[in-house]
Amino acid sequence: MIMPRGQQLLLPAKPFFIVMSLFIALLMNMIENVGLLGNAAWMPDFLALVLLFWSVHQPQRVGIGWAFLLGLACDVHQVSFLGQHALAYTVQGFLATLIHRRLLWFSVPSQALQVLPLFAISHAISMVLRMTLSGSLMGWPMVFAPMIEALLWPVVSIILLAPQRRAPDPDENRPL
Amino acid sequence: MPLGTLDRTPPPFFKQGATPLHKLIFFACLSILIMFCDVRWQITQPLRSLFSLVLAPIQWVAQQPGQLADRVEVFFQDKGDAQIEASTAKRQLLQQSLHASQVDQLLLENKQLRALLELKARVQTNAQVAQVIYDAADPFTRKVIIDKGAISGIQVSSPVMDEAGIVGQVTRVYPLISEATLIIDKNHSIPVLNNRTGARGVAFGESAGAPLLELRYMAANADIQENDILSTSGVDGVYPAGVPVAKVIKIEKSADSMFARILCEPLGRAQGVRHLMVLDPVGFDLPARPEPEAIKAQTKNGGRS
Repeated sequence: MIMPRGQQLLLPAKPFFIVMSLFIALLMNMIENVGLLGNAAWMPDFLALVLLFWSVHQPQRVGIGWAFLLGLACDVHQVSFLGQHALAYTVQGFLATLIHRRLLWFSVPSQALQVLPLFAISHAISMVLRMTLSGSLMGWPMVFAPMIEALLWPVVSIILLAPQRRAPDPDENRPL
Repeated sequence: MPLGTLDRTPPPFFKQGATPLHKLIFFACLSILIMFCDVRWQITQPLRSLFSLVLAPIQWVAQQPGQLADRVEVFFQDKGDAQIEASTAKRQLLQQSLHASQVDQLLLENKQLRALLELKARVQTNAQVAQVIYDAADPFTRKVIIDKGAISGIQVSSPVMDEAGIVGQVTRVYPLISEATLIIDKNHSIPVLNNRTGARGVAFGESAGAPLLELRYMAANADIQENDILSTSGVDGVYPAGVPVAKVIKIEKSADSMFARILCEPLGRAQGVRHLMVLDPVGFDLPARPEPEAIKAQTKNGGRS
């Protein structure tokens, strides 16, 4: 595999870790919703963020099918029209597979800048569907949601790649 | 370098499965199909129930931080607050005990009068208490999710109320939870009766984002004043009659419109409420809705004879 110069060779990602991270993202979306924040429009969608991360880093494992299923789960939880988030995540997953070969050659901050349009498209699809089906307009705070998600991209990159950055041969002096 | 450092399975060269474009087309069509089924025919309830059952444990975990925060708050509650709360509760209890004794007497009297008039006995409805888990995430619908579902015997179109008045109506039932639309949702309407004048009307949820109700189609010269209490009229077969709904707070009359614009404030706390009461829908004793064809035929026959 051709890799950018000076980049650390990563350990293989564990499938269990991928699944757990997706479920924790779903859980965080729910806590956001169930907890104190209620239903503000600017709240970031952690599930979209983690889905996009894995479909860029592990396109063999997390693809459009996962995006579709988790989108349906999100729809059921949020009492939106069934298929609304599914369509948004599907399109986002497809765009991620288009750019995933190119994206990883850039530094993490410029990656964040490049995934911003993807988040924006995903939110726009969701908003357009809601507008056409129920006729309700979203407020302007919704513009912040994709921006916050893009700002969280470096954070997610550090957290979700941490297990793959461990030493290949852990010993007593270097347990992690 | 030890084994297992790199992915040992190289990406497949030839068996790559469907291309991303094909997958996109397939799943996009599938989601649009599901959406169409959901919006047009409302036949996706089994799918929703399935997903809701799978999500139930995750939702339970998601509730825990909030409940923990509540418990911590209760633990650190001031003694003074507790005393004030207890004294108000005692005062309310005294007031209500007076009401309760009167109600017993009135019920008896009412029963006798109804027996005298040979009216059908007033429908008795069962109630169960449910807790609000969360507000629906869509900022422009007013829905809450409650923690009782089909297993606890909740039915679709059950009225939901709190101690002050009607709050909403159950619109979707899952096995373990159900979804209630509040009366302030813009797609919700509720038939009401003005307690002072006895005039009937229909109150709609406000669409402009304010948590208010609007009493539409009342003539500009209708007898309605601020602070009038509106209660359910019971003609819909969903809500029991005589439960308070809203209070009129503002009446705007304009010269260019036949109707007055009447804004009402819901009495039941529509937002930030924790415990709700779910009643059984009362509509079982209503006669079935007549078929449109039957009505046409009748008028035809009436015209001929």
